[in-house]
Amino acid sequence: MPGAVVLVHGGAGKIPKANNDVDNQARLYGVKSAATAAYEALLAGASAVDAAETAVRCLEDFPVFNAGVGSRLNLAGEVEMDAAIMDGRGLRAGAVGAVKNVKNPVSLARKIMDLTPHVLLVGEGASQFAQESGVQLVPMQELITEKSRRALAQVKSLPFGIDPKAEEEEEEHGTVGAAVMDTAGNLATSISTGGISGKHVGRVGDSPIIGGGIYCDNMVGAAVATGQGESIIRTCLANNIIQLMSTGMAPQQAGDSALETMRQRVSGLAGVIVLDRHGNSGICCNTGHMSWAQLKDNELSWGLSADDRNTEEISL
Amino acid sequence: MSSADGAAAAIQPALIVHGGAVSAASYASDARRKAVNAAALAGWEILQGNGSALDAAEAAVRSMEDNPVLEAGTGCMLNELGQVELDAAIMHGRTLECGAVAGVANVKNPISLARKVMEKTSHCLIVGRGANVFADRQGIATVPLEELVSESALKEFRALNGNYQNGCNDFFNPRTVEEAHDTVGAVAIDKHGDMVAATSTGGNAAKLVGRVGDSPLVGVGLYSDNSTGCVSCTGHGESIIKVHLASRISMYMEEGISPDEATRKALLYMQERTGYGAGAIAMDKEGKVGINFTTKYMAWAYITEGKLQHGMLHKESFTEIA
Repeated sequence: MPGAVVLVHGGAGKIPKANNDVDNQARLYGVKSAATAAYEALLAGASAVDAAETAVRCLEDFPVFNAGVGSRLNLAGEVEMDAAIMDGRGLRAGAVGAVKNVKNPVSLARKIMDLTPHVLLVGEGASQFAQESGVQLVPMQELITEKSRRALAQVKSLPFGIDPKAEEEEEEHGTVGAAVMDTAGNLATSISTGGISGKHVGRVGDSPIIGGGIYCDNMVGAAVATGQGESIIRTCLANNIIQLMSTGMAPQQAGDSALETMRQRVSGLAGVIVLDRHGNSGICCNTGHMSWAQLKDNELSWGLSADDRNTEEISL
Repeated sequence: MSSADGAAAAIQPALIVHGGAVSAASYASDARRKAVNAAALAGWEILQGNGSALDAAEAAVRSMEDNPVLEAGTGCMLNELGQVELDAAIMHGRTLECGAVAGVANVKNPISLARKVMEKTSHCLIVGRGANVFADRQGIATVPLEELVSESALKEFRALNGNYQNGCNDFFNPRTVEEAHDTVGAVAIDKHGDMVAATSTGGNAAKLVGRVGDSPLVGVGLYSDNSTGCVSCTGHGESIIKVHLASRISMYMEEGISPDEATRKALLYMQERTGYGAGAIAMDKEGKVGINFTTKYMAWAYITEGKLQHGMLHKESFTEIA
């Protein structure tokens, strides 16, 4: 029986300019903290779903990531967020698209999964359900950072407006996510994002599309993506990875292969974290930059790209 | 179902439409058969005139949206507050470009709005208020609620009185028989070999405000890839989402499985994993077709040079000269 595994990422994007070292340190701190919090929860008996929610809640609360606080702004200057959570047992899932004023959209996604017969709620309906479900609501201002405002101003200054490949071409770091295996061997995944700066009001990306940005099946494995959302949707990235693993391919190879297929078909770039049902992991990214952290067998690994692998023993 | 003759032959344009997969007795009406046949003919007129699969699929779905007998556009089911919230999507197999709307209010033809998302924006999915803002900017008019609400939708809304789960169990479970309503869809291939898939729905009766099912989700309710095939699904939306039905069928076709076997296999998988029924129509790049459903009924029509085939019950297939 494989032990607990936690794998988180803080978003894929272009390699940041040198003077963003402060941000990089903040990202590493964030992913390590999120992974540690989720791992500790697992060791204390939490389920994979609980730990996946915990990890992404941490990332949503760190302003350096494009999720929850720190979400990028739509063209009207508002924060509209997408999130999802999936339970490998029974393929249960919950998701939100374009929801406003929710401090932790991943927790709203979980409420949808646990309390309603639905999978996906969007827009005003999602906000209404948020009020009824008891998740924490905040004024939009609390989610907006100076960085997000600057990113929107930059997009608005471009002659042709938003670029479909913006998420990985500018210094944007996208969606956050987590893939978890608990001590019972169950898998869960979670994902959250503010989307692309300057997106059309109501635009929803890949994150809440089950099989696009996220998928999880105890019988095969788990995959969570970040990067150019429309490309991920069009090529069903998470599905492809799960399908490759179901033929016996290892997580790393499955992720790399699916990303290459996406790049060839639609010229999109992305990152993805992958787990198979034995707890083996894959950390894959062809955008150049993706902050990530993994905790397994009391060993903490982390990096700022798929090739950047650092490790230390920890005691919890 | 037979394919075009030989690899060297020109591609035979074709179109399949469905009017929803459900298990309700009241669904099985002559009016529904006529509605899907009319939609198939609307799409075929374009293909016969050397039109594109994109125009044909859109025309077929518009025909079904405008028909109050079917549950997309006019005649759609109402959410728990008695409002209309529509979902639709279209996907082009040559470029993998797609456009979708979800939770859009009071637009007569959401499939045309979905097409605008694909052609006028760099996005794949626009929802809620944002979708209505986009519609306004595209000059697509909103119509009064009354124009879209049919007698049977109102009756359904009152009868269910907000009980969504009962509605689901009745609608999609092949073991029970009650009122039920669903999505419409089309898949088309034109003489260039371009394949397009399209879906449209008002969702299930008494759904929560903002609930989105499988229809506007690429890889879930529809998929199209010229190198593989095109697929449109219908049935219990949440379960279709969980097994990513459309891309599953597409993956099976990519492995060389025929559309008939691919749809059958995927629907059985869905039944095993979720307990719910659904239907799917699919075509591969050779023009072979798959039309299958695990609910009691699915009104469908398949049209190609010289013939229109249609049916609604299991093992039922009528052929007419087209």
